[in-house]
Amino acid sequence: MNGLRMTTRGALGLDPDELVACVSCGLCLPHCPTYRVTGLELASPRGRIAAMRVVDSGAAPLDAVFVRAMDECVQCRGCEAACPSGVPFGHLMESTRAAIAPRRPRLRRFVETLGYRGVLAHHRVLVAVSWLLLVAQRLRLVPRRYAATLPRLDMRRLALRLRVPAGGTPDVWLFTGCVMDAWMRETHIAAARVVRATGARPAVPGRGGDCCGALHVHAGRTDDARRLARRVIASMPGAAPVLVDSAGCGAALRDYGHLLGTPEAAAFAARVVDISSWLAQQPPLPLRPGGGRVVVQDPCHLRHVQRDHAGVRTVLGPAYELVETDDDALCCGAGGAYAALQPALANDVRARKVAALARTGASVVCSANPGCTIHLRAAGLEVRHPVELLADALEESPR
Amino acid sequence: MCFPRDAREVQAAVRAAQHHGVPFVARGSGTGLAGGATPLDDALVIVMSQMDRILEIDPRSRTAWVEPGVLNLDLSRAAAPHGLHYAPDPSSQQACSIGGNVGTNAGGPHCLASGTTTAHVLAVDAVLADGTATRIGGARPDEPGYDLRGVYVGSEGTLGVTTGVLVRLLPDPPAVRTLLLDFTSIDDAATTVSGIIAEGILPAALEMMDAQITRAVEDFVGAGYPRDAEAVLLVELDGLPDGVTAQALAIDEIGRTHGARTVRVARDEAERELLWKGRKSAFGAIARIAPDYYLHDAVVPRTQLVGVLRRIYEIAAEQRLTMMNVFHAGDGNLHPLIVFDRREPGTWERVHHAGTEILEACIAAGGVLSGEHGIGVEKRDLMGRLFSPIDLDAQARLVEAFDPSGLANPRKVLPAGSRCGELAGTRPVPEGTWI
Repeated sequence: MNGLRMTTRGALGLDPDELVACVSCGLCLPHCPTYRVTGLELASPRGRIAAMRVVDSGAAPLDAVFVRAMDECVQCRGCEAACPSGVPFGHLMESTRAAIAPRRPRLRRFVETLGYRGVLAHHRVLVAVSWLLLVAQRLRLVPRRYAATLPRLDMRRLALRLRVPAGGTPDVWLFTGCVMDAWMRETHIAAARVVRATGARPAVPGRGGDCCGALHVHAGRTDDARRLARRVIASMPGAAPVLVDSAGCGAALRDYGHLLGTPEAAAFAARVVDISSWLAQQPPLPLRPGGGRVVVQDPCHLRHVQRDHAGVRTVLGPAYELVETDDDALCCGAGGAYAALQPALANDVRARKVAALARTGASVVCSANPGCTIHLRAAGLEVRHPVELLADALEESPR
Repeated sequence: MCFPRDAREVQAAVRAAQHHGVPFVARGSGTGLAGGATPLDDALVIVMSQMDRILEIDPRSRTAWVEPGVLNLDLSRAAAPHGLHYAPDPSSQQACSIGGNVGTNAGGPHCLASGTTTAHVLAVDAVLADGTATRIGGARPDEPGYDLRGVYVGSEGTLGVTTGVLVRLLPDPPAVRTLLLDFTSIDDAATTVSGIIAEGILPAALEMMDAQITRAVEDFVGAGYPRDAEAVLLVELDGLPDGVTAQALAIDEIGRTHGARTVRVARDEAERELLWKGRKSAFGAIARIAPDYYLHDAVVPRTQLVGVLRRIYEIAAEQRLTMMNVFHAGDGNLHPLIVFDRREPGTWERVHHAGTEILEACIAAGGVLSGEHGIGVEKRDLMGRLFSPIDLDAQARLVEAFDPSGLANPRKVLPAGSRCGELAGTRPVPEGTWI
């Protein structure tokens, strides 16, 4: 049927079949964090698709109102998991952002290009910038608008060393990523400890594995993302599983087949696995029980995008009393760079989440994504990565 | 458009509309299927999504005061710690609002035994078209005077704007059992429905899905719905454990007598929820078959189900359309669903033609136009097929008594010219309309 159909692309270049899949039933509304806090149709998936339709067909202009409506989406994809029609909202939004990107103001494009190409893509530069940022924070030179959304960097954390070999022929690859490896290396250290406790030999990627490109895809910088994807694939050759301890990176790596459209990329994507899921398939670790009450906050990119959130519960279950929130696993509002770009909405969404987390009575929140962790820590919560909780509960001594 | 946060702001919006002679319409979550909340004539849209507070749950009297923007499922979740729930459960219950439910007198699978929205609304706070805030109904079991609450529920915003609702909550049943019966013919499934009711059993819910919709739903939820069945029945029983067990046995027997291939009982709550998730996702899941759908809502006497269903599939064949059926079989509330792709030329016309024929067939079988979706704009012009001019005039007079200005959600429910003898208020009469 599709072959016969007219498939001319409109102003946004969206796939007409993806666009018509929405029947406007509205079942996505309660699963959308921005709709939940604003009550505005234009801040809902259904409203955003309606806006995409009219702009794509040329019935309405690609104006500031439209750009704002698209920018306000966290891209949590909670709507996708809730959609009975299977509307690929994430792809629609990514395509729309890609169509908007060249129309951004020149200064913003310049700064973004610098950030996405110059900093995130080169790990040494990112680490250097992080040290500069730390100094700026100490000297109170960070503009107030950003001060609240950026985590306060810690000299000891930045100086931590991850003692895992790079490259070679390991049993498993441990993907380290960009921001997470610079700012939250303690998570990777815990991940390496837990992986070694299973008896497997980990290695971090060789040259070129600096950044997965997830933030680039979200920002509509598809070409940049493809370049990074090719580098990342080359940095982890062989057939060993690629373990990821960042849900956002994992979702991006698993989408490489779609991003690059090559059999090699699809084969690589099939090797990617969330570290908790991988651990759940290994023989049980020797864990001390009685670790206290922990509320599991699934990152959207693990639950809605990778649909792989059972592993965390399997591996932590023996050591901790796990509890769940009652808010349908709604997004926390972090959304990669979203918390920095849309601070007001991100904070409203987070307030709802913090209330749901508080209702569980747990004092520790478990999150498998650096963005969520930073965002929730900024609200004063104690947030730990599942592998950190596992490392704490390991029976054997650390070294 | 405006987004009031409380009743006073609603009142201000209605007064402003009245002052400027602009029509107004309240909107909840926009999940309605008859266009009741669609703004006509550049109406002011009063969006209730920010009035979403549950004001009070009283577990002793089993009631709750809620704002109209509260989502149906959120109310049941909030009541759950008290062992209570809000009974009407439309398929869209996770998204639709209580205010919208009141407007359309919404139903749902579990309304077979417990009744539709009107049976669960004790009182409504409303802003009438002239800006007066008033309470209709009350907490007492039998309020003195005429039952205006009964008039208001289902009035689709033509009498005023709802700003608060006092709902009845029901205790969760001690035992629940969900059965899935599968059939190799639609007739067998339909006769089983009549058989169950004739046996004196009133299930909490009794739902039917035909072959195509069952497959679409199974693709989405993977609940184990049989892909090769011609029809399935989803039956839910609740009550005391022994009664539920006895009824389940009886239904098993009735089903097999009428040709049920298998009878499956949900083993646990998770399996039960998955089966229901499938049923409630049915309308959304059809986009897996074609991009557009037109969903009807009509009620026929249960005993006529077999004949009417046959006629519906005949109409689909005549118009070369794909027709599916997923509906509340227990109360004869049909939801024929036409799926199509509007991008194919000439399809619209055939779809509309088929829709009208279906409703005519239902009316001819002794049915009515709507079971739970309301009339809105969709079926407004078919009201004349069901009601005489005298009936329509009486209804138009009732609306006029509440809203002489005709600004509250105009041109909904009643066709133009419903009022005999004279033009009703400012309602324009389109060309060619009989008066």
